Order: sequence, then C-alpha cells, then structure tokens
Amino acid sequence: MPFWFARGLRRGVVTTHYPARPDRSAALLPTPPAFRPRQLTRAAADRLVAVCPSGALSRPDDALIFDVGRCTACGRCAEAAPDAVTPSGEFELASTARSALVKKIPIYGETR
Amino acid sequence: MSPSQDTPGQDTPGQDLSQAARQLRDTIAVQFGRSLHIRTLDTGSCAVCEQEIRLLSAPHYDLHRLGFFFTPAPRHADLLLVTGPMVRAFGEAARKTYKAIPGPKVVMATGACALGGVYPADPFVHGNVGEVLPVDVWVPGCPPSPLALLQGLGVAVGRLAEKTPGLTFIAGQDIAGGAG
Repeated sequence: MPFWFARGLRRGVVTTHYPARPDRSAALLPTPPAFRPRQLTRAAADRLVAVCPSGALSRPDDALIFDVGRCTACGRCAEAAPDAVTPSGEFELASTARSALVKKIPIYGETR
Repeated sequence: MSPSQDTPGQDTPGQDLSQAARQLRDTIAVQFGRSLHIRTLDTGSCAVCEQEIRLLSAPHYDLHRLGFFFTPAPRHADLLLVTGPMVRAFGEAARKTYKAIPGPKVVMATGACALGGVYPADPFVHGNVGEVLPVDVWVPGCPPSPLALLQGLGVAVGRLAEKTPGLTFIAGQDIAGGAG
C-alpha cells in the first residue's frame, strides 16, 4: 500500500482540466485538413475529391466544398497534395447547425 | 416542461429546428447546468465511437467532474448520444427511444457516419441520423476524441461556445503566401 500511495503522489492528478484549460494530448489527435488556396488548382482539387474516401470533398464549380462533418481525418488528401493540404489542428468541432460544418475553400492556383 | 418540446423534430426532422433548438438550449442551460444524464444509442456504428465514449468515464477525462452521467434508461436521460449511420431497421427503435426521453431533451449526433459521411443512403442505411431524429448538436470526427465529445457536451448544454462558425479550414495566409 505505501508504494502505490507514494507513486500516486509522485504522478499527481492525471485527470485533464480540459474545458477550463487546454489538454496537451489534443496536439496528438488526427484533425481535419486545412487548405492553402494559392497552392490549389482545379486539377489538384479534383484529385483531392477523388482521393477522399468519405465524400467530404466536392468541387461543384470554382471552389472546393469541404464538409467537415463527413471528414474522417484519414490524411489521404494531405498525402495526395502535401503542399496544398495540412492538418488543421482543430478538434473542437461541435456545431448546432449542420450547415456550419460545410466550408467553402477558394481555388487561387489558376490565377497565379 | 412546455409540451411543444416533444414535437418539433418528430414530424418534420430538419425543419424549424434552429429556433426550437435555441429555446431548448436555453432551458437546458438552466435545468441541467450542473447535471445531465446521457443515454447512448448505437445505430449501427463500428463501435469505435463507443470506445471513445467509454473513455469519457476513464480517469483521464472523468466526465463526472463536469456533472455528466451515463444512464441505461431513456426515461432517465436528458441527452441522446447517437452514433452510427442509422441503419434503416433501427429507425423505429431510435424514434421510440427519442419519444421515451422526457423533455426537454437534446440529441447529439456523433461521428462521421452519423453526420452523413462514410455510408451514403442506400436500402440498408439512412446514412444520416438527421433523417430520423431532430439533431441539436453535431460532433464530427472518426471517431470524435473524448475531448471533442466533451466539447460537444459543453456546447449541448450551452456551457461552451461553438467554434465552427469561425473556422475557415484555410491554412494561414502567411504560410501559403510564403510558399506560393
């Protein structure tokens, strides 16, 4: 008994303080991608749409539509276009409106 | 509770919800500010969401410190935590579970399946929890981490602010400008 007591004292409280203070483990989470519009061309965007396994990406016209709700943070888009896609680091994504999770990403690569 | 809180989503899921949801959230912030009971509902998920939900009770996350509790009975629940793509065979059971929860109540759709990713609608799945239940809070992730679930619960009871309306998912212009 004294051993686990001493060990417990040494390690301190393991419970996160999350809503009050940020949790360090959040940095390790896989997160949805963020895009760099200047690096995106229409062809590159179409490649990303094709590579997304959960249908989170679409390109109905001259912009990339990213449905965060459908994203599984698998990282395949970041693998397909590492210069245009990077992990966003956002995990606090709860939303009361489904439409707030659908984001429009402009494509600037063409006009450069 | 006011009797109207049972009806909004039942007949017309997905319509006129924002107003009702706002009223509901205000009520819930008052009623359940410090104590909220959660009933989980698996509508055909792969059980990884359940794994993350179970972790909420583990020492690291310990959701009881925030006044959230799991309950095995819908009649005792305030919040319905739904996972999975809503298998069609489960639709009726989901509706009954929702009906069994006394108002005011909150429905939280959890995970990419529940939000319409992964499984498109087909003869076997609705492909979206919103097809059957009036969802108040959407929590993306595959699976959503316990931290994301905690934030979702905070948003559901009005204790935490939503961040999503402000997020663009466009990487910082300085990085993009520097490279291109």
